[in-house]
Amino acid sequence: MVDVKLENIVKTFGETVALKGIDLHIKAGELFTLLGPSGCGKSTTLRIIAGLDFPDSGTIYFGDEEVTYLPSSKRGAVLVFQNYALWPHMTVFDNVAYGLKLRKLPKEEIKKKVEWALELVKLQGFEDRYPTQLSGGQQQRVAIARALVVEPKVLLLDEPLSNLDAKLRLEMRSEIRRIQRELGITVLYVTHDQEEAMAISDRIAVMNVGTVEQVGTPKEIYESPRTEFVASFMGKTNVIPAKVVERNGDRVSVEFEGIRLDGLYYTEKSDDVVVVIRPERIRLHPVENAVSFTGTVDLVEYYGFFIEVVGLFGETRIISRTISDRDVAGLRPTQPVTFYVERDDIIVLPKQQL
Amino acid sequence: MKVSKWSERLFGTPIFDPVVTTSFLFPLLYLIAFLIIPVLTMLAIAFVYNGHFSLYWFKNILTSDYYLSFRPTGEFYRLVTMPSGEQIYYVQGVDFGVILNSIIVSLSVMILTTILGTVFAFVMARYDFPGKNIVRILLFVPLLVTPFVNVFIVKKMFLPNGLINWLFYDILHVFPHRIVIDGLVGVIVAQTMTYYPIVYLNAYASFINIDPTLEEQAENLGSGSFHLFRTVTFPLALPGIAAGATLVGIFSLEDLAAPIVFQGNPLARKLMSFQIYSAFTSGFNVGSPQLAALAIIMLTIAILMFLGIRKYVSMRQYAMLSKGGRWKPRVAKPKGWQAALIYLVVLPMLLISIFPQIGVVLLAFSESWSGTWPEGFTTQHIMSIVTQPDIERVIMNSVMYSTAAIIVILLLSLTASYASSRFKKSQLGPVLDSLSTIPIAVPGIVIAMGYFFFFAKVFPDTPLDPTNLLGFNPAMVLVLAYSIRRLPFAARSISAGIQQVHVSLEEAALNLGAGRWKALTGILMPLILLNLLGGAMLSFVYCMSETSVGITLGSINPDYYPITARMVELMTSAVGSANLAAALGVFLMVVQIIAIVLANLITKQRYSFIGLT
Ligand SMILES: Nc1ncnc2c1ncn2[C@@H]1O[C@H](COP(=O)(O)OP(=O)(O)O)[C@@H](O)[C@H]1O
Ligand SMILES: [Mg+2]
Repeated sequence: MVDVKLENIVKTFGETVALKGIDLHIKAGELFTLLGPSGCGKSTTLRIIAGLDFPDSGTIYFGDEEVTYLPSSKRGAVLVFQNYALWPHMTVFDNVAYGLKLRKLPKEEIKKKVEWALELVKLQGFEDRYPTQLSGGQQQRVAIARALVVEPKVLLLDEPLSNLDAKLRLEMRSEIRRIQRELGITVLYVTHDQEEAMAISDRIAVMNVGTVEQVGTPKEIYESPRTEFVASFMGKTNVIPAKVVERNGDRVSVEFEGIRLDGLYYTEKSDDVVVVIRPERIRLHPVENAVSFTGTVDLVEYYGFFIEVVGLFGETRIISRTISDRDVAGLRPTQPVTFYVERDDIIVLPKQQL
Repeated sequence: MKVSKWSERLFGTPIFDPVVTTSFLFPLLYLIAFLIIPVLTMLAIAFVYNGHFSLYWFKNILTSDYYLSFRPTGEFYRLVTMPSGEQIYYVQGVDFGVILNSIIVSLSVMILTTILGTVFAFVMARYDFPGKNIVRILLFVPLLVTPFVNVFIVKKMFLPNGLINWLFYDILHVFPHRIVIDGLVGVIVAQTMTYYPIVYLNAYASFINIDPTLEEQAENLGSGSFHLFRTVTFPLALPGIAAGATLVGIFSLEDLAAPIVFQGNPLARKLMSFQIYSAFTSGFNVGSPQLAALAIIMLTIAILMFLGIRKYVSMRQYAMLSKGGRWKPRVAKPKGWQAALIYLVVLPMLLISIFPQIGVVLLAFSESWSGTWPEGFTTQHIMSIVTQPDIERVIMNSVMYSTAAIIVILLLSLTASYASSRFKKSQLGPVLDSLSTIPIAVPGIVIAMGYFFFFAKVFPDTPLDPTNLLGFNPAMVLVLAYSIRRLPFAARSISAGIQQVHVSLEEAALNLGAGRWKALTGILMPLILLNLLGGAMLSFVYCMSETSVGITLGSINPDYYPITARMVELMTSAVGSANLAAALGVFLMVVQIIAIVLANLITKQRYSFIGLT
């Protein structure tokens, strides 16, 4: 079990720059997630850590040892492939035992370890099956057992739940979390699903077109996004273009659609900003220390356990979310509505450069 | 661990690895040593005159009427009066000189096989008619290769009392006179009947792979059936058909069987392939620089055809995009006039076209054959295969050469396909790819000649030196030639297999601690075992029937004859027995049938052979 450090990793495929200088520090024993949209470079990062691809420049450390160009077979960073990559010509036992046989362990010990691994993933009794005789979820467990049994320094999981159906996804998610806690191993987990990332991770790195935008705990990432991209990627949210009209130390006033919000925290230089407000932080009744703005109702949508009210402010639509029926009683489209937001719930970020 | 920039550039992986390096270098060096260098040796001879670089030999050839004449000589056909007083048409073609003759024969065969192959393929792909399953089996018959003997039967069919004249003159009275073909026309007809199945297979695959909705859409817009074929179906299938036709063109160019069987007519000898071949049989002026120059001209024509089709097919790959589509092909019941065409024209044509193979069997089991049909049943010739020591020996020789060649071919195709499909970033990959497909376009007789120069120069006065005559042992030379010539066909089967195995299966092994060798032998090879088997059987058949090198370098020393060398001897020498050659032909057909059945049963994939000699 080691910590993994990536320093300024650059990787290009022909014209495509897949990674534009990645820095990451994954601590020993934590479950660290790479989160980002498809094509942002998550798999590439994982393959570089596994030693299946090599960076154009940059350095990788496992603990104090530099492993940048160490062949995959000597690295101990074991990858669970997105398609599981089980060998169809070998039984479950032989698949799991493969890495142990390569390490020339005695037969007895191999048997014991394979049993242990299969028990860990709850697949006892499946030793003699072939991969094609297993369901998707079972295949995935074999893949995980095959990786765990060699006691990897780091376990790498590439979108492990993406090929499973919704119910199984939830089950495997907690299984993976359980196994990681039980063994205390370092896990690097890749997903494009923000909800999954939030639920499972100790820390998350949000990636966007070959760069890491922000690293932090799920709570930090969700509540204090540091870029417009991170804010908009972490679930449905309001991202409103605005202008800084007045500065006062680390507080500013911003304006959009003729609406002025005062006393917001912002320390960056750029005056082109976005105002980020989570829908559930918008109230439809007055609260203390809140700013408020009035527009008209555009739409009221019932989602069952919550209700969304979309307000129209000039050209800008802003979504608010409430669980209270009373809040929306009597709200009809085109009627005026006032949104209230506590100052601390409003995040001002520099507008993303395109 | 250090990264190596040049390992990355050459082999596509920044970590130097002996298995990867070997996978690139073994096939590459092998092809350079035994394909490129022998051809270069030939260049070194053809471009030198009086010790200097010179185009003298090429000028010599291109200015001689014997080789190149734009004013044809001779009559295409003439009316000959037989001793009996009966008049017959004797058709032999006209003489444009060796080079143009070869090109004209090749083009004619391409056109005729394209018509025949496309018609058969279209009928089989689009119509459902009673008896279709029998036809499907019959269509495999002309694929069976019986070097020389099938051409011998074609020649027989067109004799005054042969099958064709019996049918069309005596019975149907279609011909105004009996027709005898010989010379270049004989070669064209024989090659057409030998090679049309290659176009058929390509055209059939293309028709089957056309998305039916494309045709339905056109029909929907009011396209009639012939219009539909002309504007939609044929253009979509054209790249496949053209690829098959080009292959046929190259095979025709290098074919020796037809010119050898028709060599009684001087015109049949005026072909490039025969000119080079006859140097081997007539007292060894093989070393002549002028012949080397002719071989280079022949090679250039073949390679231009090959490159032309490669460019064309890749440009119009769209038609092949449909490959792998799982739609139900459009099959219709033929309308009245279509059914009449199928039963009255297409099927009789098919029956005539498979007659050579049937004839070979008849010949092998008959005592004599001088009239329309053979006479006297006997198993004596077939039994010779197991009783006559010289026949047993040539079979054993061929089996040994072919087995050794298979091992080399498998090693070459495995390493080359592994290297170029797994290390795509390598700059050597495309070079390796081209080098391992180019043997398709190198005529066998050119390889034979290149080897002659190469081994005489590099290993003089050793058993590898062909000028050593009875001191020459062709085993190694033949194995090398077989392995080079058959490589593209086996490599295709094996690289298709490798492409079906997802690369992550090997990566998972590497990632768990396996080296490249373990991942290759423990993961990839077991997973492509069936492709390896299929490739091996394919190669075996193709090696057993190899002709060009077998009847030149292979026929120098009788102790080491391969089957084809003995067959050509039986067919051409005064004391030879065509019946015995036919028996060997039957033996080869049986080997081919067993191999094709086994390949299809074991691998459960649809293998078919193309008639390679
Ligand atoms: N082997 C490769 N060859 C060329 N481009 C690649 C290759 N692998 C990845 N890429 C490109 O690199 C970028 C990042 O890919 P990837 O790491 O697979 O993204 P993710 O896993 O986040 O979806 C994409 O633009 C992708 O097209
Ligand atoms: Mg990915």
